[in-house]
Amino acid sequence: MDKMDLAQAIYLLGKAIGAGLAMGIGAIGPGVGEGNIGAHAMDAMARQPEMMGAITTRMLLADAVAESTGIYSLLIAFLIIFAL
Amino acid sequence: MSRKDKIFLAVVFGAYTMAWIINLKYIPPVGEAFKTLGHRWVVSLGSFSFNPVTIINASIVFLVILWFALSVRDLKLIPDRKQSILEWLFNTFYEMVEDTVPDPKFVRPTFVIAMTVFIFVWTSNMLASFPGVVFVGWENGKLTEIGLFTDTWQAPTADLNTNLTYALMVFVISHAFAIKAKGFKAWLKSWFEPNAIMMPMNLIGELAKPISHSLRLFGNIAGGAILTYIFTYMIKYFLLPVFLWGFFGIFVGTIQALVFSILVIAYISAQLT
Repeated sequence: MDKMDLAQAIYLLGKAIGAGLAMGIGAIGPGVGEGNIGAHAMDAMARQPEMMGAITTRMLLADAVAESTGIYSLLIAFLIIFAL
Repeated sequence: MSRKDKIFLAVVFGAYTMAWIINLKYIPPVGEAFKTLGHRWVVSLGSFSFNPVTIINASIVFLVILWFALSVRDLKLIPDRKQSILEWLFNTFYEMVEDTVPDPKFVRPTFVIAMTVFIFVWTSNMLASFPGVVFVGWENGKLTEIGLFTDTWQAPTADLNTNLTYALMVFVISHAFAIKAKGFKAWLKSWFEPNAIMMPMNLIGELAKPISHSLRLFGNIAGGAILTYIFTYMIKYFLLPVFLWGFFGIFVGTIQALVFSILVIAYISAQLT
């Protein structure tokens, strides 16, 4: 990476900015969603501590579904970095 | 923790640190280490190409499942440990399917499909949770380098082809069940609910199911493998990799296998109602 012409530099710049934006913006949705899930699970656990096991399992399942959009943007970021 | 355990742990940790210090000399520079990251070994035969790593590792998974199945073939009235784990797993899944699927005629077929998918996906996710034979470095379709214990196994589920096969299979099976349960006419009519204008929406909604179903598993497992590789390189393979394998391999792998098979049940039961 010692010397490159302008076209190569712009290409690399676009790749880096694109991957960063894809991952950064894509992580907002799952973050908010998983926060909501966690908050409501905490509420439910505080109300009914004897249901803790069942609630934790379902919370993890809901987390896995909620984070799928974040995973898609992670995939896109990897595609931009490694396959473009 | 007893005194014996403490000595054992100290010896293991010392050996680990020694191995790390020795190996530190052989860690490749950044440009070389990340050169083949995210690339796959592809062999093309005529007009179609395939990924041999997926086929090799999928056969390993099949052999492991076959070995396990043969070892619990003779079921006893008083179960041993292996059999009781298996019975608990099957029972949990059967109850889950019974609660979800409305038609009792389709409980057993749905259970068989979901359980098969879960066993395969979970075993192949577990394969990605510890280091083994990795295929790195190739030119023009020819393999040039095989790594031993340099990275985790490449799971069959880290290849989109495997996941898309399962997702499309579930898509076809769910519609076949719907035709069988409701009859062809009622199934055809279900596309035009609530009225004919909504047909394209229903079509897109149905076609998006297998795509999101397969991409979720693929992204989690493949992304986890790549993240593990990058993090282990950044920390120079010191101590952290064990926890990364545990998190991305065992924890995420189990949860995603569970989510994948629960969605199988949900998609099939959604077509039956």
